[in-house]
Amino acid sequence: MSGQGKTVRGALSLLLLGPFLMAVFVPFLWMVLGIFKTNAEFFQPLTRAFFPAHYEWQKAVCLPVALPHNVVELLEGKWVPFWDVFGNSLAISLGQAFGAVTLSAMAGYAFARFTFSGKRLLFVLAVALILVPRQLFVVPLFSWVNELGLSDSLLGVMLPGVVTGLGVIYFTQVFRQVPEEYLQAARVCGAAELRVFLTVLPLVWPALLSYGVIHFILAWHEHLIPMLVLTSETKQTLPLALAKLYDVSQRTPQGVQMAASTFAVIPTTVLFAVCHRKFKSSLSDMLVH
Amino acid sequence: MAAADQRTSRARWTPFLFLLPFLFFFLLFWVIPLVGGIKMSLQANGLGQAEYVGFAHYKALASDGRYVTALRNSFTYTMGSIVVIVPLALWLAHLLRATYRRLRPVMTFALLLPALTPPSVLAVLFLMVFHGKNGLLNQLFVMPLGLEPVSWLKDPDFILSGLVLQTVWRWTGFMTFFILAGMEGIPRVYYEAASLATASRWQHFWHVTLPQLWPVLLFVAVYLVVDGFSLFSGAFVLLGGSGGTADAGLLTVTYVFQKTRFFEYGTASAISVSLLPLMTLALWSALFLRRRTA
Repeated sequence: MSGQGKTVRGALSLLLLGPFLMAVFVPFLWMVLGIFKTNAEFFQPLTRAFFPAHYEWQKAVCLPVALPHNVVELLEGKWVPFWDVFGNSLAISLGQAFGAVTLSAMAGYAFARFTFSGKRLLFVLAVALILVPRQLFVVPLFSWVNELGLSDSLLGVMLPGVVTGLGVIYFTQVFRQVPEEYLQAARVCGAAELRVFLTVLPLVWPALLSYGVIHFILAWHEHLIPMLVLTSETKQTLPLALAKLYDVSQRTPQGVQMAASTFAVIPTTVLFAVCHRKFKSSLSDMLVH
Repeated sequence: MAAADQRTSRARWTPFLFLLPFLFFFLLFWVIPLVGGIKMSLQANGLGQAEYVGFAHYKALASDGRYVTALRNSFTYTMGSIVVIVPLALWLAHLLRATYRRLRPVMTFALLLPALTPPSVLAVLFLMVFHGKNGLLNQLFVMPLGLEPVSWLKDPDFILSGLVLQTVWRWTGFMTFFILAGMEGIPRVYYEAASLATASRWQHFWHVTLPQLWPVLLFVAVYLVVDGFSLFSGAFVLLGGSGGTADAGLLTVTYVFQKTRFFEYGTASAISVSLLPLMTLALWSALFLRRRTA
């Protein structure tokens, strides 16, 4: 194809992509701008008052920087104990991601590298795991978590989330692609199988990272299980706090709602932006083969 | 010889050593709740009730109009989102590959934004920006055509399509990302071979890209089915835990949630259990398709 043909095609695709990019991006821009708006401004038709009339900055009590008024209100915990909630979400999601990666990587290694009786059956069960949404079994899960003494504890939300069929299948595929020579080399040196596994881990770290990120995002979004398990106000997670802020009966200013929403999007976005490239190449390696 | 024997006996339990942590949590937080759910579905409704009632809940469900509605809505919603998302994501991935290389990561990332956003935030943004009388959809498209603004969340004709639209908005970018990653993993040789056979662009797509992408597309579809049947947060924020006007937006998880609210645990569990055969069917058809195309 000629260079010019390529440029034309590039420009044309960009033109076609434009509306989709706008459809995705505009709501987020509107969300961030919403932080500065008063309630009256906020409910104007979007086409008339997309941008706020004033951008006001205010010194925060707890932080040495100037922040929009609504952000200050949110951070000072006037509506929800924001720092607690944010910390809980972070702890649960990180713990869950770490647990899920560990368990699934080990199980995937076993499935990819060993033959043993019952392997097929166990693998089918792992696949079945994907298909049964946990949300459907929240009631028995909830009562079981209570019986374990984990009600209203972060562990009660974190632990059930570490079992993931998707992770097991993903890591089975990942470890299948590690050349046998690496493993043999380690085994010849007399390494125990666990040692062999640990030597292989650095080879597959993009996969570990990618799955960790995906699981973190899923855990960050989880709504129903925390809602049932966590009852006290300081134990809540972000989706719960957001639902509370959005609730009309609470009369939370729209600007505060938008500030909270923005904060809820930041961690997953930053995490993904940082790992984006690694993530994609590890996916490309795996998906088609 | 002894060493070899020792090796095989060691090899016999090593895989289980690796599987142990997973199996432990699998048993604890998956098998036990599942069995608990099945047991609960055979017991009377109410808190702390353990009276065995057999299949009474299932029989009641069979004649429960709302259950049928919820099932039908979930099915329509899931299929609707797959039918829109998969071709759209394929097309977007194709466009992203055709556009300037430098811009590609930024644009892919922008498209991914909704997938990174908690569903409750997404629901609110979606509601404000696209829905509502003041939303862009009404302001830019419906009203200029001289039509009455659509009340997306109250008009039973539009509730379900609103939910589908929200899902499309949420997942299309993510699926585009997967498909793009899959496309980039297709060996160049295949296209070169196709070019030698003077295949057209369309034939490239049809005979090389699409078959190579089967596993990815299958994954996308299965993911959407599971996600579709477990949708809670989005519908919960939009419809406040109700099914919307005339239950037009009543989905299975919402219905389970409603039953739970009134401590009808038996019925709630029966609904959940009744979905298992459906999910299994989805799994087997996916595996079957994969085997046939492999």
